[in-house]
Amino acid sequence: LTRRANLARLAAAPIALAVGLGALAVAQGPGRFTTYAGHSGLAASLTVTAGLALVAAGLVTSFSRPAGQIGDLALLAGLVWFAPVWVGWDKGPPLVRSLGMLAAGFTFPLLLHLVLAYPSGQLRGTAARVLIAAAYLEAALVALGQALFRDPFYDPNCWANCTDNDFLVRSLPQLARAIEATDRWFTVAAATALVALCARRLLQDSGPARRAVLPVIPAAILLAGAVTAHAVALQRRLLEDPSDPAFRTIFALGCTAVILLAAGLVWATVRTRIQRRAVARIATNLGQAPPPGSLQAALAQAVGDPELRITYWLPNAEHYVDATGRPVAEPVAAPGRAITTLVRDGRQIAVVSHTAALPELERELGAAVRLALENERLQAEALAQLDQLRASRIRIVETSDSERRRLERDLHDGAQQRLLALSYDLRLAHASAQADGDAPTGTLLTETTDHALAALGELRELAHGIYPAILAEAGLTPALASLADAAPLPVELHTVAQGRYPAAVETATYLLVAEALEDAAGRDASHATVSVVRTGERLVVTVQDNGTDRTSAMVQLADRIGALDGQLTVEPTRLRAELLCG
Amino acid sequence: VVADDTMLTRQGIVRLLRDANIEVVAEAQDAQGLLHQVRLARPDVALVDIRMPPTHTDEGLVAAQAIRAEHPQVGVLVLSQYVEPSYALRLLQEHPERVGYLLKERVFDIATVVDALRRIADGETVIDPTIVARLVGRRRQQDPLAVLSEREREVLGLIAEGLSNRAIAARLYVTERTVEAHTTQIFQKLHLPESPDQHRRVLAVLTYLRA
Repeated sequence: LTRRANLARLAAAPIALAVGLGALAVAQGPGRFTTYAGHSGLAASLTVTAGLALVAAGLVTSFSRPAGQIGDLALLAGLVWFAPVWVGWDKGPPLVRSLGMLAAGFTFPLLLHLVLAYPSGQLRGTAARVLIAAAYLEAALVALGQALFRDPFYDPNCWANCTDNDFLVRSLPQLARAIEATDRWFTVAAATALVALCARRLLQDSGPARRAVLPVIPAAILLAGAVTAHAVALQRRLLEDPSDPAFRTIFALGCTAVILLAAGLVWATVRTRIQRRAVARIATNLGQAPPPGSLQAALAQAVGDPELRITYWLPNAEHYVDATGRPVAEPVAAPGRAITTLVRDGRQIAVVSHTAALPELERELGAAVRLALENERLQAEALAQLDQLRASRIRIVETSDSERRRLERDLHDGAQQRLLALSYDLRLAHASAQADGDAPTGTLLTETTDHALAALGELRELAHGIYPAILAEAGLTPALASLADAAPLPVELHTVAQGRYPAAVETATYLLVAEALEDAAGRDASHATVSVVRTGERLVVTVQDNGTDRTSAMVQLADRIGALDGQLTVEPTRLRAELLCG
Repeated sequence: VVADDTMLTRQGIVRLLRDANIEVVAEAQDAQGLLHQVRLARPDVALVDIRMPPTHTDEGLVAAQAIRAEHPQVGVLVLSQYVEPSYALRLLQEHPERVGYLLKERVFDIATVVDALRRIADGETVIDPTIVARLVGRRRQQDPLAVLSEREREVLGLIAEGLSNRAIAARLYVTERTVEAHTTQIFQKLHLPESPDQHRRVLAVLTYLRA
C-alpha cells in the first residue's frame, strides 16, 4: 500500500509540473486579462512558484515521513492552487473551466487542514476537527451550489469564466450570489478561527512542541490575513479585477504566505533529518560502557526535549525502573506528551516519554540505539536486583538485631526475674530454717542460694552479650564505656562521637568494637585504642591494638557492615569501618 | 514504696523487707503509680526498678530524678539487673544525695539493703560494690591507681560505694582518723579536689574512675 501511494506521489510530480506550466501558458495567452498571472511577470512567477513549491514541499515531506498526511495535503493543495488560472482559459474546453471553478474553492480548506494537522498529521482538539470538517463541508456545498445553479452568463460580476458551466441544472443567479456572499463570510470566520487556534497552540504548548509548529505559524497567519482581505475586498467591489492594485497586493500576499508555508515544511523536514542523524549517532557517541542515564540525556539532547524520560519494564519485578534501577511510576501520556514503546524481538525494551511533537520517535531510533537501550535495560535490571539484594541484607541485619534485643528482653523480664524471685524465697526459707534451728536445711539452702546467685550472674552476662540494653537506651558513648570497663585488656576510648545514630549503625559499631577487643585480647595485645569519629555522612570506627598480627578476616563483621553499605578495612592490628549514618 | 513491674520480684522484695522489719507502705508496678504513691505516702525511701512499663527502658531512672526533684526528703534506691556504671552515674549527676544504685540480687542479702536504706534515709549515697569493683578493677594502660597503696585502693572503693569515713573505719577495723589520713592521701595523689560533702565525694571518685 505504501509503495502504491509512493508511486502515486511520484506520478504527481510530472503532473503538477504540467499543470503549473500549463497554467503559465494559459495566463500568458488566453487568460492574459482574466488572471493575475497574466497581468505581470511578478504575479506569474509568484503563482507558479507558490504552486510548485507546495508540490515540492509535499513530496519532500511525504518521502521523509510517509506516515503523516501532511505531505499529501501540501501536494494536493499545490495542484488545486492552479485551478483559478485554468478557469481563465478562454475558449478552452468548458469541462476544464467548469472543474477549475469547482476545485478552486478547496485550496483554502486544504491549507487550513495542513496547518492545523502539522506536524503529526493528526488534528488535535475538537475545535480544530470541527473547523476542518466545516471548511470541507462548506467548500463542497458551495461547489455543489455553484455547479448546479450558477450560470456564469447571468452573473454581472463574472470575471474569468463568463460562459461555461457544464453542470448547470437550473440558472438561479440570486441563489448563486447568495452562496458567494455566504462563502465570503464563512472564509473570514474560518481565517479568524485559524489565527485563534494558532495563537492557542503557541501559548499552550511546551518548548519542543512549540518549536515544532513554528515553521508553519507565520505563514498561516499571513494566509489568514490575505484570505480575509480578499473576502472583504470582494464584498465591497463585487467584481474581482486582477488589474486592481488592491486585489493585486492581496494576491501577492497570499502567494507569499503559500511560499513561506512550503519553505517552512521543507526546513522542518531538513531539521528532522539532522535530528534523526543525531539520534542515530547517539549509540556511537556514547562509547563502550556509558554510565546509567547517559542514553536518556543524549536522546533528550538529540531531539531537543529536556523532559524526555526513558523507563524500563522489569517483567520479573513487574514495575518500571529508570536507568539506575530505581522504581518509577508507569509512564502515561499527558497533554503535549506522548509515549513510545520500543519492542525488540517481541519483547518490550523501553518506554520513552517524550514531547508529542516527535510523532515518529520509534522509527527514528535505529538498531544501534535499540541495542544500546537493550543494554541499558539489562544494566537497570541488574542494578534493581542489586538494590533488592542490598535491602534484603539490611533487613537480615535488622531482623537479627531486633531478635537479639527481644531475646535479651525475654531473658531480663522472664528467666532473670523468676530466678531473682526464687532466690528471695530461698532467702526467706533460709531465715525461717534458722529460726527453727534446722541447721542442715539452713546449710543446704545457703548452697542452693549460692547456685541461684551464680546462675543469675551467668544469665546476666549472657543477656548482656546477646544485646547490651544500655546501647539501645543510652547510645554508643555509655555502651562503649561499659565495654571498656569490662574488657580483658586496657582500652583507651580516644574519641567517641556523641549523639544517637540509626540502631543498625550503633549495633554494628558496638559489635565491631566488642569483637575487635576480644580478638585483640586473643592476640596478646596489652592495650587497644578505640575511636569513633563522625565525618560528614559517615561514622568512622577505628580499633587499634598492639597484639600480634591478625589471622582472622572478620568475615561476619565485614558482612554486617557491608549490609549497611559500609566498608570494613582489616589490617594486621587495626580494624577500620566506615558506616553511613545519614 | 516498692515499684517493680514484675509481680514475683516485687512480692519477693516486699516479703524480705517486711521480714527485716522495714515498713512497706505501698507497691507500684509502673512509674506513674510510683510517683502517685510517693506523693500520697511520703516514704523515707522509694525502691525503684529501672525497667518498667510502658517502654521498658529507663523509666525507673526518670522517675527517680522526678522524686528527688519533687520530694527532697524522699530517698530513692534504684534496683537493677544491669552492671552499668553509666546508669549509676546518671542517677547521681543531678541529685547525688539520698540516692542509691544496687543490683537486684543484693536484695537477697537483706542486711545490705537495710543498711543501704538507712544510709539513704540519712542523706548518704549508696553504690553497688560490684559496679565499684568493675570500675576500680578496670584495665588501664598507665594505671593512675598504681600510685595508691593496697589499703588506699580499698578505701577508694569504699568511698565510691558511698560509705562515710566512720563507716569505712568500722568496715576496716581502723580508727576514723586513719581513714581520714588515707582519704587525704588518695585525693592528693589523684589530684582530686577534696570535698567535705560526702555525696559530692562519691560522684567525684566515680567520675574519675570512669574517665
